Order: sequence, then structure tokens, then C-alpha cells
Amino acid sequence: MSEPENTIRKNALEGVRVIDFSWIVAGPQCTRILGDFGADVIKVENDANLDYIRASKPVGGSNSPNRSPLFTTLNRNKRSLTLNVMHPRGMELLKELIKKSDVIVENFSSRVLEKWGLGYEEQKKINPKIIYCSMSGFGHSGRDRDFVTWGPTAQALSGLTYMSGLPGEDSAGWGFSYMDHTGGFYGTIAIMMALIHRNRTGKGQHLDLSQVESGIGLTGTAILDYTVNNRPFRRDEMPPGNRAPERGVAPHNTYPCKGEDRWCVIAVSTEDEWESFTKVVGNPSWAREARFENMSSRFENQDALDELIAEWTINHTPHEVFEILQGAGVPAGAVQTPEERVEKDAQLEHRNFIAEIPHEELGIAKVESIPMKMSETPWSLDRPPPLLGEHSAEIYTELLGVSPEELGTLFEEGIA
Amino acid sequence: MIKGFEQSPQYRVGGALEGITVVELCGARGHFMGKLMGDMGARVIKIEPLGGAIERQIGPFMHDDPHPDRSLFFWSHNTSKESIEINIETSEGQELIRKLVGKADVFLEDCEPGYLPSMGLGYKDLSTHNQQLIMTSLTAFGQDGPYRDYKSNDLVALAMGGIMHSCGYDDLPGSPPIRPSGDHGNKIASHYGLIGTLAALFNRHFSGKGQYIDVSVHEACNSTTEHALPSYLYEKEIVFRQTGRHHSTVPTPKTLCKTADGKYLIVFQLFNNLHSWLSLVAWMAEFGKAEDLQEEKYKDMARGGPRGMRASSDTTDSDHAFEVVRRFIASRTSEEIYRGAQKLKFPWGEVRSPEENLHDPHFAEDRQMFEDIAHPEIGEGVSFKYVGRPYRFTESPWQAFRAPLVGEHTRSILSNDVGYSESDLRSLDGKGVISLK
Repeated sequence: MSEPENTIRKNALEGVRVIDFSWIVAGPQCTRILGDFGADVIKVENDANLDYIRASKPVGGSNSPNRSPLFTTLNRNKRSLTLNVMHPRGMELLKELIKKSDVIVENFSSRVLEKWGLGYEEQKKINPKIIYCSMSGFGHSGRDRDFVTWGPTAQALSGLTYMSGLPGEDSAGWGFSYMDHTGGFYGTIAIMMALIHRNRTGKGQHLDLSQVESGIGLTGTAILDYTVNNRPFRRDEMPPGNRAPERGVAPHNTYPCKGEDRWCVIAVSTEDEWESFTKVVGNPSWAREARFENMSSRFENQDALDELIAEWTINHTPHEVFEILQGAGVPAGAVQTPEERVEKDAQLEHRNFIAEIPHEELGIAKVESIPMKMSETPWSLDRPPPLLGEHSAEIYTELLGVSPEELGTLFEEGIA
Repeated sequence: MIKGFEQSPQYRVGGALEGITVVELCGARGHFMGKLMGDMGARVIKIEPLGGAIERQIGPFMHDDPHPDRSLFFWSHNTSKESIEINIETSEGQELIRKLVGKADVFLEDCEPGYLPSMGLGYKDLSTHNQQLIMTSLTAFGQDGPYRDYKSNDLVALAMGGIMHSCGYDDLPGSPPIRPSGDHGNKIASHYGLIGTLAALFNRHFSGKGQYIDVSVHEACNSTTEHALPSYLYEKEIVFRQTGRHHSTVPTPKTLCKTADGKYLIVFQLFNNLHSWLSLVAWMAEFGKAEDLQEEKYKDMARGGPRGMRASSDTTDSDHAFEVVRRFIASRTSEEIYRGAQKLKFPWGEVRSPEENLHDPHFAEDRQMFEDIAHPEIGEGVSFKYVGRPYRFTESPWQAFRAPLVGEHTRSILSNDVGYSESDLRSLDGKGVISLK
């Protein structure tokens, strides 16, 4: 990267080039954010070993690798390069690309790049300032480094699955790969910290991430309760369901609403909010009973309290509860369905949360925005998710100096 | 780096954020963001109201003593910070904040929209005197829009954010959607707040200019639900929740399997390929538990891999195979199945309670995932084991120290960094602007 001071920049990560070997969800989540901030993210792909998500639930049931809804949102703002690393010329071209890049990201299991002869020591010989981010399940050292994870594995091992559920029941866990998202965030955070470090020191480095360890990092309070108080999280009254025993507040729960399997949440944490709440639900006589007169008595008697509140919520839709209570200054929300998030959430609409861009096969690609507004370098949806190999030709010829004659050979011989 | 701040007493060399000064005015929404910066070497000055932040009242507490310096919730979210007590409701308190932020690289705050601008502490005011300032505001719904002034917390954030809709039970009639415990709505937002802040720091290196970042918890959660929105946006399909496993638009096999010692494993991807299937059946056969799984039809399913299995319209055989595997798992301990399956490359995991990782040799010994952090205020030589680094840097290490006591650094910050004399401090104390205790 060149380093001009005081230049006008459109994007925060302008000038950063990322070689992205990552696939499935965790790695692509990481590089999607880098791409959203304007880094040139080159997704290196191979027909023989496609990103599994390219084939995930293609729209219209086609066999195209370019129609997966999840792939679409995870891979916008990236370019796709097909390259066969197993071919000597492919490896040669990859090394050229490493010379011209700042960051390498992969989320394979822990020995894949070493097997390619592209471990960090080798990368450093090619480009001493390279930042190499490996996102494996268990990290690149230690006795279990060859163990493998998917999101649910990392959630189970780190403790996050166990921490979600009703007391006395099986784990409800997470209904999606939270640790793919969050593992991706930690990859992004580490890479940007390393870029900042490199700005100051000129040094690259290896960032060794473990998906399970990033999950363990989210369990700090439970770990301290054990190491300080010798109190395990695995005990009868845990996990706490939707209540908040750590805060000692009530009501703090989900409540049934009008409709099939429809729910809202209400969380009252001050006396003022309690006063507003009782007023807006019509000053029922039970609200003045001694057992609900202050926070600690409400907390003590929350089973009874929750039942009485449910008698009110059941007559309203989740969005009605949300609007009525918020109108009175009481923290409450609808357990929103995907449909409501897209069709009914006035805030997301106002903030232009769903972004759109033309896409060759899907017509229009629709994706979730990066969830922030930046005054100087706002994100933009500059590129739809790439078709497989869409940018191979331009990257080979413009960036890697491959002649038009050789380009044909690369495709014919399965190198590109 | 902006000149002006002295090196703090706890200055650490070599962290990726060494030399960056952060002023933090955050509660539960944003305090994790400041911790992550402090642990990587930034100097984080946490402004607390007189008497200490309200999160200090959240349990559990050390030895169940509800003292503001003994909240383990506060400890775990506020390592590597200094604390200064300032009464922000006074004009002199506001002036102190202006002075601190005037010299800082980053101002992290999670106040309600409009609150700081109402006292002249908005980005417009602050950036006039410090053009390099990066100000990151973390709010429930964002700085504008119809829900801007609505109240929220972690439960509301996870409900409105679509996360709860995907979490819960499909085999427990009438049960509600579940909020995974652990303040994850706030954590998702803190992660995004940090990501934006780091992007702005990187950008400032070249542009010389800071900026304002408006992060919404609501949007952060809504962008973190995997298949839920893509399935609706393209096919108008609604995912539903399933016990202990992924949301889906069609029912998928259960993954929670009970073991002989009463624990659970997450078990999936039985039919990845022929090789892994044969190795699994051979392992079960060693214990006389393979039943009829050596039959040819299962090999055919395994040859087809995950796609082959899904394409098959008859799931009776795969359901049966899963039941046999389930019986095998029920006959052994959780640890034995976890390690045995991983050796065969099955990505199965034990459903652990967090503290059980303290006894896992890979994480606890080989990877040193837990760190002893000194607590001299409790007693000489006292330290406690904390969760350690969530990432491993080869050049710029993670280094944490314990959360500050209430107002522990009020005096040192105001005298060393702002240049106040002892009599200035006593006067501010007397007027209720700061507290020297």
C-alpha cells in the first residue's frame, strides 16, 4: 500500500487487498465486512471444491452456483477468482498475488495451508508484510489442533449452547451458527488491529484464531463465578430462560400474544417504568397488591406476575404490545419474524437496512447492510456477490500480468 | 497518535492498539467494546457517575457480596480500563469530559440519542476542537428514525433483532422463543462498534481525519441471523426454531444426543462420505453397537454425501441410522464420544457448561486460554483466573489487567493528564463534580 497523508478516501479500507480462501459462513462473514469497508477482497475458488454455500438452497431450485440467498449476503463486495493451487502454474500465480496483497484469510482446518506449502513462514518469504489470519476450530497449536468445528460445534464446546434454554429442559441453544458470525467478527477485528499495528511498525503477523476460543471469550462472567465463587453454571436453576436473575428485575420475560406461536418481550427495570407499565395496561387491581409493590417483591413473585401480564398480552399482537408499551416509555419488543423485520419494521426501513443491487442471475441481490453509519467513509454496496470466476480474467491480466494468450491456456488446462 | 496524554501507570508495550487513547462513557451496551480495546493495549479511560456505573450492581458478586467493586459481571466486561468518576449533569463535569475527549483518539459512548448533544458534547461540538477524534455511538435503534427514542435492553434487542425467533424448542409445546443468556445483543453491537472504530482508526492514518460512527444494536442483531433473512428475501419462506439446532424452513434431524453420563453431544453430518461412514460403523462395532449399519444401503447413502442424502425422498433409512448411532452414544460417556468422533473427523461437540473448559487440556494447558489476573485490592498475591485472549497475535500480544475500582484513577487522570492541582481537585470534589472519597 502507498501511504499518502491527508488524502480524500471514499472507503475506510481503500487500498487493502485481501486474498480470501475462506468458505461456508465464518470466513466469508469476516471478509464481507472488509469488502464492505472497501478492501479489494479476492475470493479464490476452485470448481473442484466449491464453497458449499454456493449450492445452499439456490433460488428456483437450479443447479447454478450463483443463486444461493445466504451466499449472496455473505459475499457481496468481493471478486471471484478461479485458481487451482494444486497446479504448479496456479501456485506460481498465487504467489504473485500474495506479493500484491496485504492480508490472507482462510478458515480451513489447521494444516491445509501448510500442506500446500503456504504456511506463514512461506508467506513471509514471499511478502514480509503479509498479515495471515487463520480461522480454524481449535487454533494452530495444541493437542487437539486437528479437531474440526462447524458453528454448532463451537457453540456447544464453548458453553454458549448450554447457556441458552429453560431451566430443567434440554438446551435450546442457538438456532443458527452464531459462532460463524461472531468468529467472523473476531477475524475482522484481529485483521484490522494488525493493519493498524502494521501502519505503526511496518510488521505483518500471523493471527491464529480458534472458533471455540472466540466463543469461550464470551463466557467471562460464568468463568469468574466458578473461579472466584466455585459456583458452576451447570446447576439446577440455570440457564435462566428469558429471565434476568443476575439483575434481580421483573417482569423480564417473553409473553404470549394474539396469533399462533406469537410472542412479545417486556423488561421493566425501574420503578418509573413499572408505574408507566401498570398505567398503560389499565391500572389492574393486582398491580397494587403488596406482593408486587417493589422490585424485589416482584422478582420474588414473578411466576404469578408473569401469568397476570400474559392475560393482557394475549389480547394484542406482538407489534401492538411493542408500540403501546414503548409509547409509555416501557422497554418492550415483538419477537419479530423474518417477515416482520422486512415488511413491518419502520426503523429498519427508515435506516435503509436492506440494500439492493442488480445481479445477473437473481435480477436483484438483496442483502443486510453493515449495521452502522459512518460520517466520512460510509459503506456502500458496490458489487453484487460474484458469479463463480466472474473476475478471473481481469485479475489474471490486469493484476498478475498474464498475457491474453496464456489466459486461454489457463482456462483450457484447468489452472484457472 | 494524538499527543497529550501521559503514559498511564499500566502502560503496556507492544499491543496492537498501543498509543491509542479511548474515553469510554458506556454502560452494558458498550462496555465490552472498551474492554476489547484495552486488552489489546489501548489506554481506556472509563467515565463513571459518582458512586460508580450501574453495571456494578449486576451479579454475580465475589462471595455474593453486592459491593460495587465486587461485581463479576462488571469485572469480566471492564478489564484493562481506568476509572474516573465525573458528574456529567454539572457544567464543570461536562467541561472535564470536553477536556479529556479533546485529547483522545476515540470517544466510545452508549447514551440515549440526543443526550450528549444537549449538553454540548455531541460530535459536532467535540470535533471542532479535535478533528482527529473518532466518536462511536452505540444506541438501541440508531440516531434517527421512528424508533430512535424507544427503550431497549438485551432482551428487547434479541427479540426485535430476529435472533429469538430462531432460538427455542420444537418439542416443548407452548414454550416461548428463547433469549440465549450472556448479553449477546449487546456483545454483537459492541463487536460492530469496535469494527467501525478500527476501520476509522485505519482510515485516519491516511486521511488525518476522524469521523462519527452511529451504530445501532437493532441493526447489528438483524444482520446476525444467518439464513433467516435470506430465506425470506428470496423465497418468502419463514424459518422456524428447533431444539438445540439450526432454524429451518423444513424439519431437520435432532442433533442433541444424550450420553451415558447424562450430558449431551451435538451430533450431525453422519453421511459425509463413504470413508468417514465406514470408520464410524467400525468404531461402533468395536463396542458391539453397529446393529445393522454395516448393510450396503447405508454405504450407498454415504457415497452420495450430504447432498445425496438430502436428495433421497425416503428418510426412513437415515432416521434409522441416526437412532442406532444415538443408542451407541447413549452407552458411552460424553468425553469418550467427543474425542473418538473427532479423531474420525466428525465435527461433533460436547455441550459443555462454560467452566468445563477450565479442565480441557487443549484450551487450558496447551493454548493457555485462561489467564491469572492480579487483584491486589483483595489481598497480597491474590489473583483470579479469567477468560483470556479471544485471538492470538504473534507480534502484538493481548494483555489484560483487572477492572478498575470505582473512581480509582480520578485523581491521577485529573492531575497528570489534565493538569489540575490538589486544590482544584478538592474544589471540584466539594461541588459534587467529582468524588475523591
